[in-house]
Amino acid sequence: MKFGGTSLSQASKMKNAAKILQKFSASNKIVAVASAIGETTDQLAAIGELAKKGDLKRARKLLSKVQASHRKIVPLIAGKAGTRELLERIEQLNSELERTVEGIAHLRELTPRSRDYLLSFGERLSTPILAETATATGLRTRPFTGAEAGITTDDNFGEAKPLVEISYHQIRQRLEPLWNRKVVPIVTGFVASTVDGSITTLGRGGSDYTAALLGAALAAEEIWIWTDVDGLMTADPRIVKDAVLLPNVSFGEALELSFFGAKMMHPRALQPAAQKKIPVRIKNSSHPSVNGTLVSASELPNGGKVVKAVSLIRDVGIVTVSGTGMMGSPGVAAKVFQTLGSNNVNVMMISQGSSEATISCVVANKEVDRAVRALQLALMGQGFVDKIAEEKDACVIAVVGSGMKGTPGVAARIFTAVARRKVNVRMVAQGSSEYNVSFVVSHTDGAEAVRAIHEEFNLGH
Amino acid sequence: MRIIFAGFGTVGQALIKVLRQDEQRIVQAYGFRPQLTTIVDSQGSCFDEAGLNIPLVLKTKEKYGTVAKYPGSGRRNDDSTRIISDSDAEVVVETTPTNFKDGEPGLSNIKTALSTGKHVVTANKGPLALAMPALLELARHRNRRLCFSGTVGGGTPFLDFAAKCMPGERIARIKGILNGTTNYILTRMENSSLTFQKALAEAQKKGYAEKDPTNDVEGFDTAAKIVIIANWILAKSFSLRDVDITGISKITPRKLRAAQALGVKVKLIGRIEESSASVRPEEIRADDPTCVPDTLNALTFSTEHAGDITLIGPGAGGERTASAIVRDLVSIRKEYAV
Repeated sequence: MKFGGTSLSQASKMKNAAKILQKFSASNKIVAVASAIGETTDQLAAIGELAKKGDLKRARKLLSKVQASHRKIVPLIAGKAGTRELLERIEQLNSELERTVEGIAHLRELTPRSRDYLLSFGERLSTPILAETATATGLRTRPFTGAEAGITTDDNFGEAKPLVEISYHQIRQRLEPLWNRKVVPIVTGFVASTVDGSITTLGRGGSDYTAALLGAALAAEEIWIWTDVDGLMTADPRIVKDAVLLPNVSFGEALELSFFGAKMMHPRALQPAAQKKIPVRIKNSSHPSVNGTLVSASELPNGGKVVKAVSLIRDVGIVTVSGTGMMGSPGVAAKVFQTLGSNNVNVMMISQGSSEATISCVVANKEVDRAVRALQLALMGQGFVDKIAEEKDACVIAVVGSGMKGTPGVAARIFTAVARRKVNVRMVAQGSSEYNVSFVVSHTDGAEAVRAIHEEFNLGH
Repeated sequence: MRIIFAGFGTVGQALIKVLRQDEQRIVQAYGFRPQLTTIVDSQGSCFDEAGLNIPLVLKTKEKYGTVAKYPGSGRRNDDSTRIISDSDAEVVVETTPTNFKDGEPGLSNIKTALSTGKHVVTANKGPLALAMPALLELARHRNRRLCFSGTVGGGTPFLDFAAKCMPGERIARIKGILNGTTNYILTRMENSSLTFQKALAEAQKKGYAEKDPTNDVEGFDTAAKIVIIANWILAKSFSLRDVDITGISKITPRKLRAAQALGVKVKLIGRIEESSASVRPEEIRADDPTCVPDTLNALTFSTEHAGDITLIGPGAGGERTASAIVRDLVSIRKEYAV
């Protein structure tokens, strides 16, 4: 079970998480994974940036906010016996954190390695607090850092890749014996270490990744992700009023949905679970009785509907590279993506006509300018490319469902439905997995297009 | 090449004798002179950066049962992982006693060696049986070799055969007799109508079986070899817990005779299928090439296109295992020029 940051953000939610642990550990063997509390990780990242600039004053100010927020939660959650011990632990971590920030400020240097060390404090602080909260409910718990639990990674600080076999072996060795003694291990999400013992982090979606790794190592029956939504919906309920909860999706569909902005696991985090075919359940910690969404290997149709969900990503732009000279010149596409990649521009969607005269990419709005500048520098004036055009304020609509595979006419229905509402489609792409058709429309048309598709495929009530 | 010996029993002693005997040949053929700088045994350790004096090491071991009494640098009760991690040697030869419960001390020795950038040659099946996928991954991550030719088939290159002689062919199934002790016992029970206990006692007298024969007769040794083969040849992430194991201690001469009447023999067969592995007494036809007598080992690869291929040869033994370790050392030397 993994508890997200929003499920641990205040004392009452912390207690709620402990209650959930207590309830389900009665007849199950459980390992809990804790995220950092609320916004802690973002705050720590900001502290690091301030310290790097040498702005120790502002760094300290933000730091004391982080320290205080953890400090003040303790008396509210712990039993009498645990409070002092936990406070000592928290103060110890707090002063270690302070020294780290001072070190960064002195050196004016924030390497990926020291950044990982800094960010790890979020989970290292939240985990003993959750453990103590659960202990106060009468549960026997033991807090672990990811490294102590056995998660070992390569040396790619910031987005370290687990050495899965070593990790699996160590996790089994270290956590399984606790179950026999009826102890619930509570593990820091996101945090791991290299073979030499330096702290690393698993990158975005890291806590989910931790949960999936632990689940896969221990051959769990299910992996539960507690968050602040009931699960995956057929569409964003703020856009489509009759959007409904999806009871089940396949790993393939979940991958598409998570990429296209659904609030759930990071695609990378799904991998260990998908590989070992362990179902992942997304549940709302405020409504634990709701079944949530089950992500599993089986591709159950949604009551005969070919489409399962439709999602919308706003604030994107299209960058189009065109030129008659591009036709039949190998390597232009490679140059385009290499340029974007080395400038840290994340490409969400690509389309190229078979005439090869244009290549269009969808990138985030805030990256459009950077993308255009980089591409101009790299490609103009060499005879292949005549023009690099940009178009901001668009949105991507993704239609997802494994039932689309091999069903003729889905694309026709999608675009007819959109056309009926007089929405102009700017760019289209379909993954060859056929799990997903995505297209780009102007930002004023986005919501309307989502509603049109939702209605066309009867996804609502 | 500077070498640490972790473990210095029968295999370790056989190995330094072989290395000494073949020194000239190895230097000439491969241009490398293995230099034994550290030995850790169960009671202590000894060390010489310029290379230990081999005859003196052997004499000390023989006289006192430990290298801790080696003149000058011999010490009692040293922590083997600390010695390994502090050492500058390039290779660790791990031959501590096999332990199928937690793999120790071999498992920690191998982990420490690989983590601190040393190649490992092991004849110890315990750590591999319990954590082979993890140890292979660690070796890959550190760009070091983890060699274990001596663990399966001793001098008979079962492991290298499949890896080197059959690339491109899909091996669907593997079955075989991988433990000489139990095969000897079963042969004796069948041919001379001995009870299991009598045949075991005979095997112990001849030196085929150990004083505590549990690992052999209960099938753990065969299972460990099955794990190693499954990982190395079939790239399956198996460990001991994935193998369904039954030993031979419940087999009676009557059962063997009944089988004989039907033209089949009962053998302790290790088997790897698509997604499962087992070790148990099985009836196989007497004319099946896998059906070998006495202490012989046999391994049959069922391939998709080339049919069944069976390799037969003698199993492990001090000197044979030592020869497999030399093979591994030479291959590390060739690849890494250490």
